[in-house]
Amino acid sequence: MYETSDIRNGLKVEVDGKPWTITYFQFVKPGKGCAFTRTKMKNLINGSTLERTFKTGEKLEPAQVEEFSMQYLYEDGEFFHFMNTEDYSQVAIPVEAVGDTKNFLVEQMEVQVLFYKGNPVNIDLPNFVELQIAYCEPGVRGNTAQGATKTAEMSTGLTVNVPLFIENEEWLKIDTRTGEYVERVRK
Amino acid sequence: MNAEGLRARSRVLRAVRGWFDDHGYYEVPTPVLVPSPALEENLFAVEAGGGWLRTSPEFALKKVLAAGLPRIYEIAPCLRAREDGPWHAREFLMLEWYRAGAELDDLMDEVEQLVAVACLAVARPCPERWRRVTVAELFAEVLGIDLTTAGIDDLVPGETSWDHAFFRRWVDDIEPTLTGAVFVSDWPASQAALARVRTDRAWPTACRFEAYLEGVELANAFLELTDPVEQRRRFVAAGDARRDAGELPHPIDEALIDAVGRMPRTAGIALGLDRLVAAVSGAASIHPYRVAAVAGPTS
Repeated sequence: MYETSDIRNGLKVEVDGKPWTITYFQFVKPGKGCAFTRTKMKNLINGSTLERTFKTGEKLEPAQVEEFSMQYLYEDGEFFHFMNTEDYSQVAIPVEAVGDTKNFLVEQMEVQVLFYKGNPVNIDLPNFVELQIAYCEPGVRGNTAQGATKTAEMSTGLTVNVPLFIENEEWLKIDTRTGEYVERVRK
Repeated sequence: MNAEGLRARSRVLRAVRGWFDDHGYYEVPTPVLVPSPALEENLFAVEAGGGWLRTSPEFALKKVLAAGLPRIYEIAPCLRAREDGPWHAREFLMLEWYRAGAELDDLMDEVEQLVAVACLAVARPCPERWRRVTVAELFAEVLGIDLTTAGIDDLVPGETSWDHAFFRRWVDDIEPTLTGAVFVSDWPASQAALARVRTDRAWPTACRFEAYLEGVELANAFLELTDPVEQRRRFVAAGDARRDAGELPHPIDEALIDAVGRMPRTAGIALGLDRLVAAVSGAASIHPYRVAAVAGPTS
């Protein structure tokens, strides 16, 4: 069990029968009252948020979660297949459960997969990934006008806005948190 | 800590001392190492050198009142274990002052003046008006709860004590609504500590107010208890509550009990000076305004 003094950003706890990660906490203590820790937390499965105040002395149950480094292997239309990089065991995650994360998955990529009570519930991507353009309009040489963009469709299906000078089939560095273009990558 | 923050605190300190000089107060430094720290259920003192480091200068200043100084103040470094956060530090500066013959309304007027003086010192806008409201009025207004008749289950079903249930609702629902400058008075009698209790109304209340500035609890004021028998009874009860919670029951300061019986009718107040500087500067934490001491895990 955790104490209120263990509360930190990123601590994973079980509240109301669901797993959460702490995203905000603040110590509060009214002058003549007992101490509390105010928290905000994010549901590890569906991303919903919860605010909860814990009184000092209350115990928090650790969430029954485990995280493993896994390599993305392939998808077969129904499942995305991953391999544990330590014990080489494989896990198949349904397409629906992968959700928009599939926009950033390229084969051989290493990701962190979160398991709750033995089931995969979340895939944690690196902050930046390198993806190849599947299609965009030909590049306009010498056009470095600030802010002018066109759309490019990546091999994963993700659509991003890119500068006009970008060529078809180029590799791009993409920020997975925003889905935005960062820079060109020479391959 | 940053240079601008420390300059701001220095300006506020100078302005505050000037205000007390102008209003006939004596500055009285009192010991940091004391024979008995505050005897409250929720305050935790640091043990040192055969005694404790003070959690506030209250006991010492009451002895000064009993010795015949009717208007006194101290800018006192104080220590409270287990308090770390954006608005808490284990070591902090407390401004405490006492004025014999004054009522709580007089102290509210003085807080308004001191906050104005502090705002001027850091060239920030001063609160235009202070709201004066009771705890029960806030519970009725925000939650529709009649605090004067509410039981534990009306506040927080299953909570372990009435005070804990009260404070959970306070922290969750009431405090976040306190914007601007507010004096909150008439606290539950169970939270009187060293204040008088009024029993002339159906719901007994402590003669006590807290000052809030933009949601930050800035100060706590008492119309001071001057009944040594009642004071001893409360210390014994607080010691029992501490023992029940598995905490050390601090010794009763007999010289203080004696002073409580000899001091004149007085209103007194403790104001967090680091918080004052941070709050009038519009900051989100006290830490830019102070030199870091022993750091807690969450500060």
